Amino acid sequence: MTVPLLELRDLATHFPVRGGVLLRARGTNRAVDGVSLTLDRGKTLGLVGESGCGKSTLGKTVVRLLAPTSGQILFEGQDISKLSRRRLKPLRRELQMVFQDPAESLNSRHTVGNLIEEPLIIHRVGTAAERLARVHELLELVGLPASAAERFPFEFSGGQRQRISIARAIALGPRLLVCDEPVSALDVSIQSQILNLLLHLQQELGLGYLFIAHDLAVVRHVSDTIAVMYLGRIMEYADADGLLARPRHPYTRALISAIPSPDPNRRSRRTVLEGDVPSPIDPPSGCPFHTRCPHAEARCRSERPALRQVARDGATDHLVACHFDL
Amino acid sequence: MRLNPLTVRKLRRFREIRRGYYSFIILVVLLAISAVSELIINDRALAVRYQGEWSFPTYGPVELGSVYGLEGSAGRTPVDYRELQAHFEAQGGDDRVIMPLIPWGPYYNDAIGGILRAEPPDFQRGHYLGTDTTGRDILARLVYGFRTAMLFALAFTALTYLIGVAIGCAMGYFGGLFDLLFQRIIEIWSNVPFLYMVIIIFSVIPATFSVGARVTILLLIMVLFSWTGLTYYMRTATYKEKARDYAAAAQVLGASTPRIIFRHILPNTVATMVTFVPFTVVGAITAITALDFLGFGLPPPTPSIGEMLKQGTANLTTAPWIVSSAFAALVIILLLVTFIGEAVREAFDPRQFTLYK
Repeated sequence: MTVPLLELRDLATHFPVRGGVLLRARGTNRAVDGVSLTLDRGKTLGLVGESGCGKSTLGKTVVRLLAPTSGQILFEGQDISKLSRRRLKPLRRELQMVFQDPAESLNSRHTVGNLIEEPLIIHRVGTAAERLARVHELLELVGLPASAAERFPFEFSGGQRQRISIARAIALGPRLLVCDEPVSALDVSIQSQILNLLLHLQQELGLGYLFIAHDLAVVRHVSDTIAVMYLGRIMEYADADGLLARPRHPYTRALISAIPSPDPNRRSRRTVLEGDVPSPIDPPSGCPFHTRCPHAEARCRSERPALRQVARDGATDHLVACHFDL
Repeated sequence: MRLNPLTVRKLRRFREIRRGYYSFIILVVLLAISAVSELIINDRALAVRYQGEWSFPTYGPVELGSVYGLEGSAGRTPVDYRELQAHFEAQGGDDRVIMPLIPWGPYYNDAIGGILRAEPPDFQRGHYLGTDTTGRDILARLVYGFRTAMLFALAFTALTYLIGVAIGCAMGYFGGLFDLLFQRIIEIWSNVPFLYMVIIIFSVIPATFSVGARVTILLLIMVLFSWTGLTYYMRTATYKEKARDYAAAAQVLGASTPRIIFRHILPNTVATMVTFVPFTVVGAITAITALDFLGFGLPPPTPSIGEMLKQGTANLTTAPWIVSSAFAALVIILLLVTFIGEAVREAFDPRQFTLYK
């Protein structure tokens, strides 16, 4: 059994909610609350969920932009959840992130060349000439001309900008890329180009992706396995095809029914969820989904269902956090 | 190296705002002139030819009259080059003195007929704006006073920004307890009455301090009580920029805190801070003039507009040319800097169109 690229063990990231004159903690926002996941080398784990379910917080915790409250982040077997900033620095070469909006994540004060070169400078890679050559190589790898290096990020379109930010993220040759909604800020017509670029880079460089999105249709396109997140917890985890073909959790079913179908003759039976996501500051007792679940019973209100195995799709366990076999 | 096109656009917009752009050019020319004012307005000669040898005494050490063959008391005291000029002309030889355009220094007391008093403008003698109550040329004092005031204001602005930006940025970046603590300190500190502090401190420092030391102390006191205003803007700007994804991206790349601050956050706050610079300069000029007017500013006999306003208002009916020159000079300087500030603010305004014009 090989060591997985990334393994999360009961990971939790809580934020204190402060208030009053002295800013005392008055509550806790349980943005990520006990998540265990595994990602193998060169594979893609899709993470889906509604806005505010904690998926971005999870992504930021994995790259240690946020410090986890408890649990472990095992990166190639090494626990990085408590490493200091200095100890983390060498790991930054292996572990990178692509942000949602490239207009925000690329500093408009610097040229594209400077931005892509920055990780190389920080990690003292090569001489100035070697770095410049690497910048040009990276730009071509993501499908941009080498001349782009002298221009500024705002002189490019959204899709091109995301290519730049991907080029920066892969500059150091990472093994894991956390993609936090990398196509959500882009036009639909551009989205597939970026997704294909990510798939191409995965084949070329053997990258593992933690792919965060709110759109199951997008996640299905790139993922090997998919985890469905709700209120900081994993509701269902399975092989991508297995999850879409045989969803077990009522929440997953609702998400799948929301995927638009290109077939005009198909009669869709949409499961529309009522109400909003409850606040993670004061989550519902029992099953976090019971407030909106069409199948909820008394047991769901009092007892939290554990993530249990219900089937096996190929090599992947199909896990569901529900009391019932629906 | 290619300039950021956003910066280029700002510069172009600044140039398009005529009033501010021309004010900027005029002010730069005035500053350039005042930087070499020793060559234009001075009681020391530009060049002296004595016994076939040329010498240029403008920037050299003080020379005694005996150097040029003057005898008696004139030989033992520093040369009065106008008298030397008259002396050489009376001799009629090859020796000559070339005086600057306006042959009066800011400290020279021109006692016409042996009496020190305010003289109205006299083109014949070269007092184009007249003299003050002790016979000093007003134009000379205005030009040298302008130079001192601008130097003072620019040094003040630089120091204020250094402290204000550093502390404001640290408050915004580190946040938390540090921010809370400094906010309270700033609130207390900005309530200390500045004028009383100046009066108290100047009443205790010994009179033996040199002019330079006194000016430095005044500058430091003013800076010490002025940096707080900037921290508010800097703190919010840093808070805002720090929360943006590019700062997070830099952190994921492994950038150090200084790198994130100096390469990423500070360049993005420049636009906010630059717009305040001209108004800080205006504030500094006004403050130093007001302090001079009250007698707590630059120590005498340093030429200053405030001191001249004080003299002028005391002799309003007998010598109105003093106050009118000083007032006009002050208004022109403040207007120029304010116009520049207005144009800078508009050029840095991210909006395409404003109703401001």
